[in-house]
Parts: sequence; C-alpha cells; structure tokens
Amino acid sequence: MNQKSLKKEKRVRSGTLAGKGTDQMLSRYVPLQAEVIDIDVESSNTYLISLRPLDEEDETVRLDYCPGQFLMVSVFGLGECPISIASSPTREPLQICVREAGKITQGIMAARVGDIMGIRGPFGNGFPVDKMKGRNVVITGGGSGFATLRSLINYIADNREDFRDVTVAYGARTPHDLYFTSEYGSWQAAGIEVGITVDMMDASWKGNVGLVTSLLKDINPSPGTAALCGPPMMINAVAKDLVSRGFLEPDIYISLERHMKCGVGKCEHCTVGHYHVCTEGPIFSYDVVGDLL
Amino acid sequence: MTLNAALFLDHENLVPLIEELGKTLEVVAPVYAEGEPVFATWKGEPLALDADNPLNSPVEFFLPQKEVLFKYVQCSGRYTFQDVPPKSRLILGMRPCDLQAIKVLDEIFGTELPDHPYASKRMSTIIVALNCTSPGERCFCAQMGSGPAAEEGYDLLLTDVGSGYLVESGSPAGMFILRAHSHHFEEALPEHLKEKERLLSLAEEEITNRRPALTPEEIRRAIDETDWGEVEKRCLRCGGCSLVCPVCHCFSVMDRGVPDGERLRCRDSCVMAGFSRMTSGANPRAALGERLRHWYLDKFVYIPEKTGMLGCVGCGRCSSVCLSEIDRWSILREAIE
Repeated sequence: MNQKSLKKEKRVRSGTLAGKGTDQMLSRYVPLQAEVIDIDVESSNTYLISLRPLDEEDETVRLDYCPGQFLMVSVFGLGECPISIASSPTREPLQICVREAGKITQGIMAARVGDIMGIRGPFGNGFPVDKMKGRNVVITGGGSGFATLRSLINYIADNREDFRDVTVAYGARTPHDLYFTSEYGSWQAAGIEVGITVDMMDASWKGNVGLVTSLLKDINPSPGTAALCGPPMMINAVAKDLVSRGFLEPDIYISLERHMKCGVGKCEHCTVGHYHVCTEGPIFSYDVVGDLL
Repeated sequence: MTLNAALFLDHENLVPLIEELGKTLEVVAPVYAEGEPVFATWKGEPLALDADNPLNSPVEFFLPQKEVLFKYVQCSGRYTFQDVPPKSRLILGMRPCDLQAIKVLDEIFGTELPDHPYASKRMSTIIVALNCTSPGERCFCAQMGSGPAAEEGYDLLLTDVGSGYLVESGSPAGMFILRAHSHHFEEALPEHLKEKERLLSLAEEEITNRRPALTPEEIRRAIDETDWGEVEKRCLRCGGCSLVCPVCHCFSVMDRGVPDGERLRCRDSCVMAGFSRMTSGANPRAALGERLRHWYLDKFVYIPEKTGMLGCVGCGRCSSVCLSEIDRWSILREAIE
C-alpha cells in the first residue's frame, strides 16, 4: 500500500501554508465578546439569554447566521461549549437557550445583565431553509433540543408565505419543562399548527399527554420536509413514524448533539463515522445518519 | 556551486553548522535523556542521530502536548486577548515518517478553516530531515509509502553515507542555508549519491521483509473482521498509542485563571472513555472496542477520504509505547489470516 498511488486516486488540495490569509487564522480560536443584555427564565433550570456581540470599539456586531447553527460560548476561566442559537436571523437580538448541565452552562447561567461572555461562530451547516420553501414542514422536538427548532419556527413565521402547511409537535417531560410557552400563540397566529405534549402531567395541565408522534395526525408528506431535534430515542421513533407516513429519508433533517471542543473540525470530539458534526452538521438527513443514531 | 546541487558534510562539521544556525533559531534535535533518544531543545549535548527515531515525534513542536491558545485579560468588565507568537525553530533529524505526518496534518490543520497555532509554528520552522538508513524494529514506513527515504517536505535532507552526510536542499530556505554556510560543505561525489541509493534500498528491503504489506482493501477487511471485543480485553486504556502518534491530533480545550488567564489546549485521545461523552452522560462510543475500531477507521479510511493520504505513517510508535504490547500491524494481519 502506497501513499503515492492513493494520492492519484483522490483529489489532493494543495497543502502549502505560506500565503494563506493569516489575519483570518489569527481569529480562529479567539472569541468575540458578547454582552448579556437580557435574561428570561424559561424553566427552573433553563434561561433564554440575549446577547449583543461587540467589536473592538464596543459597537454592536450583527452576526450572520441561519436557523440550526450554533455558537461556541465561553465563560472565561471555566471554558467553552457548543450552544444552539435559539433566535431567528429575522429578529434581534441574538439569543441562546441554556439548560443547566455542567460547569460551563452553570457559569453561563450565573451571568448577569451587563456581563461579558465569549462567542465564536456561527458554526455548522444549519437547516436547509431554501430546500424547505414551497413544501409542507413538520418540526418536531423534545427537551432542550427545542431551542434550535425555535430559531427555525420563528424564521418560518417571519417568511410564512414561502412555506406550505407548517406543523410543530413539541414534547417535554413535565409542563414545567416546556420552553417558549409565551410564543405558541404568535406561531398559531402566523398560521402554524402547534401541538404540545408532556410525559407527566400535573394538576394544572389540560393538554396532551404522551409521545410527540401522537401529535402528528394530519401531516402531508408530498411534498414534505421534517426538522427534528431531541433525545436520540425520540428522534428515531419520530423519523420512523414519518417514513411510515410517506416522508422520504433525505427530506427528514436531524440536528445532532455531540461533545465539541473546537467547532472547526480539528479536535475530533464530535465525529460520527467520518463526519464532523461541527462542520458537516449538526444537521444531517436521516438517510445519512439514520443508522448512526 | 549551484544552489540545488547535493553537497557533502563531514560528520565533524554538523555540530559547528547547527551551532551557527542556533544563534538565530531554537534548535530541536534528538538527544539522550536517561539513555533514551528524545526530541528536545538542543543545548550542545551529544546528538542521538544514530539512535532509533525518538518516541516523542517532532510533530510535538507543531502540536504540543499542551499549549496556550491565547491569553485573556479582564479590564473594567471587558476582555483583551493576546496571541502567543511562535518561536523560530530548526528541527534537526526529522525522519521521513514524521515528515509524512506533517504533510497529513497540513491538510487537516492548514487548509479549510486553518488552525493558527499550528500553521504559525509550521511557517516559522526549518526542517532538516534525516533519511532512515537503519530502520527500527517496529517500523513499517515502507508499507505505508512514507519511508525510509524522504521525497519532499523538508528544507534540508541529510543521508548518513558512512563517511559523512549527503545534504540535499528541498526549499529556498534550505538553499539559503547551504549558501550562507557554504564553508562547512564540500561538493558531493557520485559515490556518495550511489551509497545513498544503496543504503536506502537495503533499508526498504529490511522493513518490507519484516512485515508483509497489506492492500487498502485488506486493511478495510481486517478492520471489519477484527474481534474488537478481544482487543478490548488486552487494552489497558492508557491512550498512549494516540498520544505518541504523529498523525493523531485530537485535543481538548480548557481555561486556567480567573479573571485573567489563558486558554489551553492539550492533546487528547479518542481511545479514552470520556472523549465523546456529553454533559448529559450519553456516550456515542461507550465501548472501548468501538473506540479502538474508530481509531483504525480514522487512520485507514476517514483520513484517506479527507486528505488523499493515509492516517498512519508506519513509525511504529503506537506499538512501541503499548504497555500491553499490542502490535497494531499484527492485529490487522491476524484478522485476515
């Protein structure tokens, strides 16, 4: 086996480093500063944090992103972790939804208005919103995975005429774990079908109880596109259900969650098979990652 | 003297030459530490160029086991960030396998979304390579197409032809060194070139005779057919194989210091249990066997798909360092036999 014969078969990019954009390289791991401008409590352990990215002169920087992308968020002294962008690019401000999980998320949630955190990104491919246009869209999620879907839902709500029937099916463990409850009304007002369910109800709950798949009744697969994010077991069940209803596997998009350290395809923590979730994902179609879930 | 001619350097002139170069550059070379060869900053001690290739690859000087990515300083609620400028270095005695590893890393760290800490060190380093005329016990570079003769990627290339070194330049920087320090060199004679060819083909024969080659298809089949559950029982989970591998580049990132401090990156290993584990506790590659299989797939399938080059350069360090004496090459051979 020989390197040279292998090289002939494969396209080889020129590997010289000299003359590449050095300025661009300097900023790869150095974050942008972002000021916390608002904090909303979504649930007992989840905050929606609004950020104002700053340039060196303390002026606001507008981040160019699309639904489904993520940021590497830093709390200096604690470290950096990947967090989905929860806001839609059609709206200000930039928002992240953070659930208390480890020491960095605890650090992010300890921030007060006016504090500075670091952000890098946006990273990842995002949902293929252009491919979804002119089609029926089903958006299904569970747990904290709903944050990235909220970005897509608000994007669709703001460009409603570009899409056909839009259905949101969202499940949480208990009524207290539901996020963005104040926005469901505005989604419905924009002509989006919204179904909510919980695993465990309490005395105040009058809605659905059970699996999110039970909410997917009158959905039209032709032409249909689905966007999913949530626990792997739920994603698998929903994707199988959608396929059985006539959705094509390449039209089912899944946002994957993985451990990440760099966000730029170098550190190898997020690999799934030969894919880097940070650069080639986090959104993959079901035919690509179905058997890797 | 033409600039790209092969020159001859007397053994005795090597140290004076690097002493001169060391006036403006930090020289990294194989030296002895407790009797073992290691790549380290050279401070005039005896060189270990005749010893086996050190267990620590000189790639460590581009992707250190631990390095500062940047420093952060807080001032009235805002931060300023400071980059760490790279040192100008000369690495002496880099073997063809490690040169090939750098070529692979250049593809991964240097092209799409360039990695500045790596690329800046790469651009400020002169490489004086050394052809392998006496390969080590564990080497299988010939089977991987990366040695024992270096073909490109160096500034200067040395071949020990017995009476001294045959010196060839491979870059404008190399030519410049030859010209600026010409008083150390003589014209090479045709017999020096002939001796180089003879020694390197002998070395190649020695390596290939020791371990029969495998085709890419055979390697792929071997990975599929290996009983990873059995390998898992022998593996002690130390991660040493990936920490000494010159192509392995997994890293972790962490902060040190509040409110001022530094963001560090440290080499990590995909063989370790916590490598892919998420904060929730979910671990996509929970079984050690799965992680070992992934290590092989990355080297022989995924990296070739991405870079057009193998992710293994045949340096044999993984087998040398393994506490459980798992020979990485033999595992594959045994699987298809």
